[in-house]
Amino acid sequence: MEQVITVGLGEVAVSGQSEAVLVAFGLGSCVGVTAYDPVRKVGGLLHAMLPQRRNGDKNLTKYVDSGIPELLSKLLALGAKREQLLWRYAGGAQMLTAPGLSDRFNIGAQNVVMTQEVMGHYLLRVLSQDTGGYQGRTVRLFIADGRVLVRGISGSERQL
Amino acid sequence: MDVPLTDERLRTILQVMANTGIERAADGLSEMIGQRINMTVPTITVVPIASVPERIGGAESMVVGIYLAAEGEMSGHVMLILSYEDAMRLVDLLLGQPEGTTTELGDPLCRSALAEAGNIAASFFLNGVASALGVSGRPSPPAVIVDMAGAILDIMLVTAGQLGDEVLLLESLFERAGRELRLFFWVLPDLLPLRSLTKESG
Repeated sequence: MEQVITVGLGEVAVSGQSEAVLVAFGLGSCVGVTAYDPVRKVGGLLHAMLPQRRNGDKNLTKYVDSGIPELLSKLLALGAKREQLLWRYAGGAQMLTAPGLSDRFNIGAQNVVMTQEVMGHYLLRVLSQDTGGYQGRTVRLFIADGRVLVRGISGSERQL
Repeated sequence: MDVPLTDERLRTILQVMANTGIERAADGLSEMIGQRINMTVPTITVVPIASVPERIGGAESMVVGIYLAAEGEMSGHVMLILSYEDAMRLVDLLLGQPEGTTTELGDPLCRSALAEAGNIAASFFLNGVASALGVSGRPSPPAVIVDMAGAILDIMLVTAGQLGDEVLLLESLFERAGRELRLFFWVLPDLLPLRSLTKESG
């Protein structure tokens, strides 16, 4: 029996329970970052809104740059081994493409660039990603086997 | 935040803005479709950002969003959100066609009709606010987006998210008499200009 755990805007969740499915619904410009340790069978999902943490904001998981280390430390606390963790991420769409508006609002692209930078900085092993474009995505991480599924509004679901 | 969201003078200003602005927006839409659109009493709520998508039926539900940015003394975001089915009904009303004529929203004419509805609602809203509070604002060109509710809401929420974990939302539900058409009207005001207003009047 699957147990769905919803990861809302600016939130993170980790789990080691095989029936758990961590889900970030309707990511637009946000990014969903997943990490999974296939040996310990623990994983986590971050739903970050903005690229860079502002001075002093205590909500670390709202941001890509502070949220990824936070996800990492929560997974380590749950028994994951850093070198075994496999990372995948999706999201960062450009939701607004009206003339004269788009550049100013392309926070999605900024989120993706920051995700890449943070992955490089912490030497994390990225297996796959699905970013950019103009449409929203739902991201699911299955703790039982580490599968990550991405779905768009067309309804088709693909493995990341 | 300099002035707490609970500040009494700020709340008064917001209530005036909501009452007048949203009433005008409903008037504008009614005129445009030639049928009366009723509105619920606008609410002003401070809600955690993470809980916002639930208010319109969940982050994954497919909706149509008509978005405009307000610029000027009164700045912020204005969005009309409706279900895909209701958006098709609205297009039929706007184009004066029998209901059921529109079966998908891919056509540029449909998009442009919806954009115009957003434009009218936002312009009337801003004019209402200008006459009640003396602060002016003008709407940006509208964008029509068909996607998951969560993805569309990101547009409004990322800006608000830079300021805090909660957003201040003016919300009203518009309904056509007979209730076949429900439309959320949301305004997410930038609070800084409004705060300066509370200082001036104090």
